Amino acid sequence: MAITKLSLERFTAFRRLEFPVSPGINVLVGANGTGKTHLMKLAYAACDISKTGGGFAEKLIRVFMPSGRALGRLVRRQKLSSRCTVEVHRGRHKLKASFSNHAAGSDSARVTGFKGWTDSPVKSVYIPVKEMLSNAPGFQSLYAQREIHFEEVYADVLNRAYEPPLRGPADKDRKRLLTSLQKVIDGNVTINNEEFFLRNKQGNLEFSLLAEGMRKLGLLWLLIQNGTLLNGSVLFWDEPETNLNPKLFGPVIEILLKLQRMGVQIFIATHDYTILKELDLQKEEQDKVAFHSLHREATRGEIVSNTAYSYVDIHPNVIAEAFTDLYDREVTRSINGVGV
Amino acid sequence: MTTLKEGSLQIRFPRGTNVKKFDDSTHGLSHCMKAVDFVVELTDRICFIEIKDPDNLPAQATDKQEFAGKFLADKLDADLIHKFRDSFLYEWACDQVGKPIHYWVVIGLDSLTDAELLNRKDALERKLPVRGPSSGKWKRNVVESCLVFTMKTWNRSFPQFPMSRMNS
Repeated sequence: MAITKLSLERFTAFRRLEFPVSPGINVLVGANGTGKTHLMKLAYAACDISKTGGGFAEKLIRVFMPSGRALGRLVRRQKLSSRCTVEVHRGRHKLKASFSNHAAGSDSARVTGFKGWTDSPVKSVYIPVKEMLSNAPGFQSLYAQREIHFEEVYADVLNRAYEPPLRGPADKDRKRLLTSLQKVIDGNVTINNEEFFLRNKQGNLEFSLLAEGMRKLGLLWLLIQNGTLLNGSVLFWDEPETNLNPKLFGPVIEILLKLQRMGVQIFIATHDYTILKELDLQKEEQDKVAFHSLHREATRGEIVSNTAYSYVDIHPNVIAEAFTDLYDREVTRSINGVGV
Repeated sequence: MTTLKEGSLQIRFPRGTNVKKFDDSTHGLSHCMKAVDFVVELTDRICFIEIKDPDNLPAQATDKQEFAGKFLADKLDADLIHKFRDSFLYEWACDQVGKPIHYWVVIGLDSLTDAELLNRKDALERKLPVRGPSSGKWKRNVVESCLVFTMKTWNRSFPQFPMSRMNS
């Protein structure tokens, strides 16, 4: 069952937010500091523990990395004592955690709904903004042994990438997806001694020599090949546009739409016009795409979210506003040069 | 060829194309209704065409800032929407709305990039609006789509209806 809703009260930057979620693709847009990544990390933490059975509050600490690993630092800052509540819904299952701003570790958090939540696990993966595969050799053992300052999403994504391929031949849809990705990256991915290589006719090329954007697509290939992204899985991808040439956005969006049609629930946070426009142009009637515009409301400056189901209905659209600003400046410059 | 002229820009359509250029005498209601520059009927659609050309502003426009202001996004959109809606009503009252309507706007500034034009198109479609309310109450579309061009992108899209500047 896909995630259906997030509800937050006094969590990080949010005062109160009800966030309805599409079972298909959820696109989070908004200026910096409107909590896009926070929402994705929260939902990811909940998905991840459904599989591992680990503690929800502990996972939040590991994924958000508050200073001193103090859980209470995830409570919205205010002068007096306060308490935050987060809920992640998957249909009738609800995982809820609440904790005070004085909470030092995960022990004092109150978590409910854990049993039902972990009884129906969901596969998930979080692709962070920074590419990790080229730094992979030795990272996992280092992360396991030492307190290094890396959010756990980095270690998790490597774990997912290292998972061996699914047994048996890939089904038709998966095969097609893998083939279209192989065309884009010009090869497939192989792992040797924890090191990732792009394998094609010329031989094996280590990931550290590969363009960063291509490494991300290589990661996507691995996640499809090893069955991390299957019907019922959830993919979180923070700023897929990072380090990718805009010409590759088309194929990437095509793959995301196809994954959605296969039953993968997807969350992406983006600042990029081309990503939004590709989705707008490529999505078909039956595709489930929701655009969530996170912004600060005018009167109190609180973060709120508007959900739209088509590109033109996104409101406010900070990305389009940036182009409108460019358009206006271009018009002003051009016209100021015209004699009147 | 049928040639439509607006200021220093002209568009050529194949002979026999049903074209209409509104001016004071043919429109008759210009004291209370605005109008797009041309209405062109093609086989499958009716095109409302509006040309916004800095070269085509009145010679007496002396205030450069006010001049530029007319081309900034908000004012331009408001003007384009007003012209479209009045023209639609006018054509509807004439019982001339027998085909889907498309709104094509040409901005005579070749420095505008494709991304900026696409962005204007989206804004226009949002504000006009192209789609009815989410309740699905609208049984038909007022406008099928909007497109915003420069002369260069117009000629790229419609080589069959070439646009040129008369003084060039």
